[in-house]
This record gives sequence, structure tokens and C-alpha cells, in this order.
Amino acid sequence: MSEPAFPSTWNKESKPHKFCPGCGQSLALKILGVAIQELKIQNEVLFATDIGCSLLSWDMFNLESVQTHHGRTIPLVRGFKLARPETIVIGFIGDGGGYAIGAQHLLNSATGNDKITVILINNANYAMTGGQLAPTTLLGQKTTTTPLGRKIVQGHPFKGPEMLKEVSFESAYLARGIASNYQELLKMFKKALQNQIDGRGFSFVEVLAMCPVNWHLDAQESLDFSEKEMTKIYPLGELKCPEKLS
Amino acid sequence: MPRKIILAGEGGQGIQTVAKIIALAAIKSGKNVTFLPSFGVEQRGGVSIVFLQISDKPILYPRFAKANILVAFSSRAISPLKKFLEENSLFIYDNSVVENKFLEKIKGQIKNYLAIPAQKIGRERFTTKVVNMVMLGGMAANLKEINFQEFENALLEELAEKIKEKPEIKDLNLGAFKAGLEEVEKFDQETQPLEGVAPASFKCFFEKENLSWERFPEYCKGCGLCLLKCPVKCLSFEKENVGFLGMPLPTVEIEKCLGCKQCMEICPEGAIRVEKQ
Repeated sequence: MSEPAFPSTWNKESKPHKFCPGCGQSLALKILGVAIQELKIQNEVLFATDIGCSLLSWDMFNLESVQTHHGRTIPLVRGFKLARPETIVIGFIGDGGGYAIGAQHLLNSATGNDKITVILINNANYAMTGGQLAPTTLLGQKTTTTPLGRKIVQGHPFKGPEMLKEVSFESAYLARGIASNYQELLKMFKKALQNQIDGRGFSFVEVLAMCPVNWHLDAQESLDFSEKEMTKIYPLGELKCPEKLS
Repeated sequence: MPRKIILAGEGGQGIQTVAKIIALAAIKSGKNVTFLPSFGVEQRGGVSIVFLQISDKPILYPRFAKANILVAFSSRAISPLKKFLEENSLFIYDNSVVENKFLEKIKGQIKNYLAIPAQKIGRERFTTKVVNMVMLGGMAANLKEINFQEFENALLEELAEKIKEKPEIKDLNLGAFKAGLEEVEKFDQETQPLEGVAPASFKCFFEKENLSWERFPEYCKGCGLCLLKCPVKCLSFEKENVGFLGMPLPTVEIEKCLGCKQCMEICPEGAIRVEKQ
């Protein structure tokens, strides 16, 4: 008999965690836990979460954790980094907090090349409130506020890393991964953290995550939707990677 | 003296329905009632709690600090109930579900209790879907101020729409309710200790010469991602046992397993461990 396969950074007391069965976000958090464990930076990390499903992770880790107003996670970690430059700060936000209410912070942080790491979960809807239209909802995708599917009048799906690529420095690290690909996402998280540890520049990873509950799909269908449909609009891979990292 | 009742259990066990039936029955008996459901931030898999007050006088505020009757439908319901315990509170619990290690935490504080093996009765005599009605029977026997007939009327009123679709559930629910009442008559606190069940013991560890595969039912939510990611399809859902949410548990045909660890990597809960030498 052995222990469950938790990363050593996870808080065992709060498990099983509060995420729904089959949630891609919890998978990303597990991989983030492994990345922090493998880089051995557990004692230097500040983990900041946003409002939305991401706040369910406030007691996920044995890390210094803080939770703030909706969309204001990036200014918070930016301020923390300015005051305590030796800390490794991680802003963990959703697509609402990063691309809607907190979009200006994300943009300005990338423009200013803050030495912070931002991890953004893209599950194509506002999951905690019951699956409303989000900036990242695909065209034609049904949500509770677009029962006939998203149309062009409601805007195109928001491509965060592509936008940041235009404004960020050469020393920034920008990537998009998917929660169901463990090895690739682990590499991305480690690079995003390493970029900050080296004091090089802004690091941003968008994670495509499945949301079976609000997509009203079963495990196979939600895996297919995130791996096949979402990746058509949101191609995976590194958009910007400093030479020294790769 | 107003009656203050708090019910807690897993979301989906039908706690809200039971509380609503009690509230309806109390209204029909001419009492003042408040009914306050309280959900956690969780969408699923959380503990759901209901606050109920029944009084002859008007009720000023629906919340309260201490309860007269506490009802626990599951093991995880114990810890939110703990702070509502009073010296003379009556503690009603399902002794075929609540585990001993959870009961240990509050054993010292409980003087009056009532154990109803609701899950067992439901499974053996009806279906597991009417477990809440068995518990309702247990509660009804202790709410003497409400006319007994009103419980049945309220039950039928609350389930009227479902009964219209499936007429057979009328007898199931009424039968389960009466089974709960009978159980209260059988119960004697002098002879029956405050005990729950020992944790389920079933096989969780599978191994062959250089490989071991282990599952952890206390963390598995039954999402099924491990089944989908297995390249040789050696995982399947087991029929006999369930995880802590009552969802199916994956099991392995260890002879076929390659030890690629894909199931361990994809599991969002960390509930599978694969070791390969």
C-alpha cells in the first residue's frame, strides 16, 4: 500500500479537491504541482488565484496562496514581485479574468515585460456561474447565454497568446498547451517558471481545458472537443521562446 | 419552543427534497416554517445543507447557531454538523453509510441518537434512490407536532410530477417512508451503540512481476479519463464497487497492462498509482 499519486506540493488535507469529475483545470493544477516540485521552488512560490473556478484551488497546494478580486490577479502578483523580487509569483486565472475583466492588466503586464508567470485556463465558457458566453467561446458553440450558438456579432474567439506575441519583448515566453497532454504541458510550465527564475521576462501559458459539466458532454466527447475542435481555433505550441530556454 | 432542524449530506442524495416535504407537512399542520437550503461553492460533489425551523410563533430569522435535531446522510456531513450540536440535540444518522472514523470526532458530544440503516434498507428492499425517504420516516417519528398523515400528503404533493411520469415510484417512496418509521420503533438506544460502518475493504492493489497498479477509491470521482487514455484498453469500470461520490471505479486487467502510466498522468485526482521496476 502506497500513497496516492499526488505531487509533493499538493495539500493532502484538502483532497479530494473541489473540482468536478473530469475537469481539465484540476489536471492543469496537478501538472503545475509537478512542475514546481521538479524545479524545487516550493518555498519561494506565491500562488495567486482569481475569481471563477480557479478560486477552488485556493487550498490546493502547500504554497503561499492568495486570492483576489476578479481579474486583478496580475496586478497583485506584479506588485508582490516588485516588493519581493526573490519570490516566484504565479498568477492562476481563467479566461474571464484574463481576457475579459482583466484584459488590460494582462496586456500591460506583457507590454511592460514584468517578470511574472501567468497561467490561464481556457475552457471556452464561464464555468463557475453555469456556462455563459466567454471571450474564448467558439463560433457556433452553445452556452446558456447563446442557446443558438455563438455568432459573429458576439465577437470572434479571443486569441490571447497571439495578441501578446505582438506586444511582448523577445525575452517573453508565450505558449499554449492542452490539459490532456501531460508531458508537453509539464515542459511548458517548467519553461514558464524557469523564465521567471532566470529573471528574463514575462511568461504566459494558456491551457485548453475540458469542462464536461458545462459543455454537457461525456468524458470521450469533451476530450474530443478540446483536442479536436478547440485546437483548430487555438493551435497548440510555443509562440515565443527565448533562445536560452529552448 | 421552536424546533430547529439541520440536515446535511452529499449533493444529490435528496436532502433538499426531504426538507421541503417536512416544511410542506408543517405548513399543512398550521405551523410557521422557514426552509433555507445552503449550497457550497461546488457545483457537484459538495456537502449540501438545509436549515429548517418549525414553530407555533412567527420565526424571525431562518439561520440558527444550535439545532435540536441534526441529520447526517453521509460521512462528510459530520464535520459541518459538528458546530450545531447542543447538549440535548438528537442526532439522526445513516449507520449503513456513515463511517466510524467520522463518528469518532463527535462521539463525546452526543447524548441522544437514532441510527437508521437507510442505505441498507433502500438497497435491499427498494432502490437506492429512495434512501432519503427512509430517513424522512426516521425524522417524521420524532416530529410529533406534525400530523402524521400530512407527511404522506406532502410527499405525494412534492413528487406529483414525477409520479405522473412513472406511477410505480409512488409505492416505492411511500414504502420507504414507512420502512423508516418501522426502523425507529425497532431502535433502542440502550442496546445499540453509536456505531457506523468500517470503511469499504475491497481490492485496490493489482500486481504482476515487474508492475503494480493501485487505485484510491476515496479520491476517485469516476470521470473515466483513465479508461479513454489507456492505449491497450485494459481498464474498465467495475460493477460491484463505487468511489466516494457513488460513481463507478476503474479496475485493471493487470495481465494486459504495459505500465505506460498514461492513466496515472491523466487522472485529475491523483487516484491511480502505477509503479514499474
